[in-house]
Amino acid sequence: MSSLATIGGPVGLPHFLVLAGILFAIAVAGIFLNRKNVILILMCIELMLLAVNFNFVAFSRWLGDLDGQVFVFFILTVAAAESAIGLAILVVLFRERKSINVENLDTMRG
Amino acid sequence: MLITILFYTFAAVLVGAALGVVLSRNTVHSALFLVLAFFTSAALWLLLEAEFLGIVLVLVYVGAVMVLFLFVVMMLDINVAQLREGLTRYAPLGALVALMVIVQIVYVTWVRRLGLTADMAFPSAEPLRGTQGSNTEALGALLYDDYVLPFQLAAVVLLVAIVAAIVLTMRSRPGLKQQDVAKQVAVRKEDRVRLVKLPAEKGP
Amino acid sequence: MNTTPVAGAADFALVAPEIFLLCAACAILLIDLWLPQRLRQVTYLLSLVALVVSAVLVAGLPGERMTAFGGTWISDPVAKLLKLVTCGTVAAVFLYSRDYLLARGLFRGEYFVLGLFATLGIFVMVSSGSLLTMYMGIELLALSQYALVAFDRDSPVAAESAMKYFVLGAIASGALLYGISIIYGVTGTFDLDELAAGLDGSAATNVGLLFGLAFLMAGIAFKFGAVPFHMWVPDVYHGAPTSVTLFLGAAPKLAYFALALRVLAEGLGSAVQAWQDMLIVLAVLSLVVGNLVAVAQTNLKRMLAYSTISNVGFILLGILAGTPDGYRAALFYVVTYVIMAVGSFAMIVALSRRGFEADRIDDFRGLAQKSPWFAWMMLFLMVSTAGVPPFVGFFAKLYVLQAIVDVGFVWLAGVAVLFSVVGAFYYLRIVKVMFFDEPAPGLAVSASGSFRFLLSVNALAVLALGLFSGALLDAINRALP
Repeated sequence: MSSLATIGGPVGLPHFLVLAGILFAIAVAGIFLNRKNVILILMCIELMLLAVNFNFVAFSRWLGDLDGQVFVFFILTVAAAESAIGLAILVVLFRERKSINVENLDTMRG
Repeated sequence: MLITILFYTFAAVLVGAALGVVLSRNTVHSALFLVLAFFTSAALWLLLEAEFLGIVLVLVYVGAVMVLFLFVVMMLDINVAQLREGLTRYAPLGALVALMVIVQIVYVTWVRRLGLTADMAFPSAEPLRGTQGSNTEALGALLYDDYVLPFQLAAVVLLVAIVAAIVLTMRSRPGLKQQDVAKQVAVRKEDRVRLVKLPAEKGP
Repeated sequence: MNTTPVAGAADFALVAPEIFLLCAACAILLIDLWLPQRLRQVTYLLSLVALVVSAVLVAGLPGERMTAFGGTWISDPVAKLLKLVTCGTVAAVFLYSRDYLLARGLFRGEYFVLGLFATLGIFVMVSSGSLLTMYMGIELLALSQYALVAFDRDSPVAAESAMKYFVLGAIASGALLYGISIIYGVTGTFDLDELAAGLDGSAATNVGLLFGLAFLMAGIAFKFGAVPFHMWVPDVYHGAPTSVTLFLGAAPKLAYFALALRVLAEGLGSAVQAWQDMLIVLAVLSLVVGNLVAVAQTNLKRMLAYSTISNVGFILLGILAGTPDGYRAALFYVVTYVIMAVGSFAMIVALSRRGFEADRIDDFRGLAQKSPWFAWMMLFLMVSTAGVPPFVGFFAKLYVLQAIVDVGFVWLAGVAVLFSVVGAFYYLRIVKVMFFDEPAPGLAVSASGSFRFLLSVNALAVLALGLFSGALLDAINRALP
């Protein structure tokens, strides 16, 4: 069975961490960019959690410890539940105002 | 060498897909780009020997969560052009934020190597397997044994999600024409059929 | 593979209250389904019974620190105390909300079921021995809260604040998880005991750990609602139905205190230098912004939200002392704060009636003429929150100040005192409005007998705990030796 290191590839832990970091940064920037579109913000949150999962999977392989993968399993479960509730709130919001524009969300100030 | 090529190929596609999610003009396209991002991530996780998670990511995420997203996107009649006009206005700010986060993360993980002195290459040993040499078996042993409590809690979290989604979105609207199957099945002959005795018609 | 199972009967005995609470919530969910609307009271009563039985089961737990399920679960005196207070608070919230929900057609079984699930989330957070269990508890609590905020489906404001809460909460979860992943990578574990054993004095300067800690801290600060992660607090408190605000403002604070205590003090105790600095920034900003902005509010729910932020600053001050005295002071503070917060929000419920929310400060004008008893109760609550002796709020602030002066942060204590004086202004403004202004038209306390009784007990407890603060202090000392 081949693994990354036995092949002698120069791809190590930092490569994956930087990749996860880039994903995380794109997700954060996406939240800033798409302040008008809630559904896109929800997608950016999924992207953010994907970046976190990358970290866990890479660390798990590097440490030789399966616990990291177990954590990813739980994050996937919770993220699925979270998006279900997020979309439910979105549907309620849309019914009320026929728009998902967050910038319209300014009934409350102070 | 093969692994290196695979890593960079998938990484490039993944970053491209992530950018597509954020920058695409159409929400449906964004959702499809997110699907692509999940697929490439699954491939990268296979490189890291996390086979079970890679497959679960495709099955659960692409198969269920993204389909849910697509449903909602298409169900709600969203005015795309109006939602997108903010994009150019915030673009410099977004790029700046992204750049800052990337610089920070690259500095800590790449330049400072997280402050760790250990070798950052992946070890060649393969300790992540169960007795049958399968990642799934090893994960299952951990989940049902060491992590049995969080596992049960995950079930509760899913239950809360179900309850919440139903509470928020299900409403019984009056005047809605509905089919009540139980009522239909329970119907008896006497309720529907009435035998009427008519006097025989007299012939001409 | 190990052949001996990690979990045995002894482990399950330690989670008996949680197992009961879960089964009760599921049973109530099912029973509620078959009940006609006129028997909805049964759901409410069953939920109260479930809380009482859970509290009895919690009281029966062993008094010493024990771990279960391979270290993912901790049962210790702090957890016991926090769970008992949680049961009491949630039961009070249910009692206070009944009339409010009935008057608005929101009296549905799911409110209580979601409340019970949130309570379960608090229990899990309070007892978690690993970052994984903690995460599951956080999400269980958070998901129930998102749903509760949006519970009034016909209110656009509620849906809007639920969306804001959800989006910001999910981002905070992402940051928290990113921090946990880095800490896992650097230390190789997310078990809190192993984390504590694996770290030494050099931990505070490890760049990887600091990096992870920064993200983790952002997540914790968001959950607490500490400045600069406080944007959601006023909007959510304002937008949610008042009975839900009642819930959000009280019991979860106990859970977030446990989150900070378990993760920072127990897990990352050797990196105290590193998180102390971050907490100082959060605490000072919370005190300053919370108190200054609260002065400008005309809506009582928003004012209480900013007051929460400033009180969170005090709780963080206790934790950042990094000493057992500091943790005890913070525990004392959070327990007394929860009692005061529940009473203050209940006052808004008491003055609200069908189609009218008494959530503006003006709505309290002249309450002393209409209902002197309630005006005095509100006076007790406000004066105690402001920190005037002999009420319990004064002692809570005093212990925290003592703890931080003991570790040499005299300037921090000065800042805290200065802004408490600013804070006293807006609490006393309510007292002034109640006692010296002409009554607002239509002002009336429309509360049932049990409501009036509980509110009186609640407000008088603030005075009694102040007069006999030694007893509460003893209980706290036993819980956190």
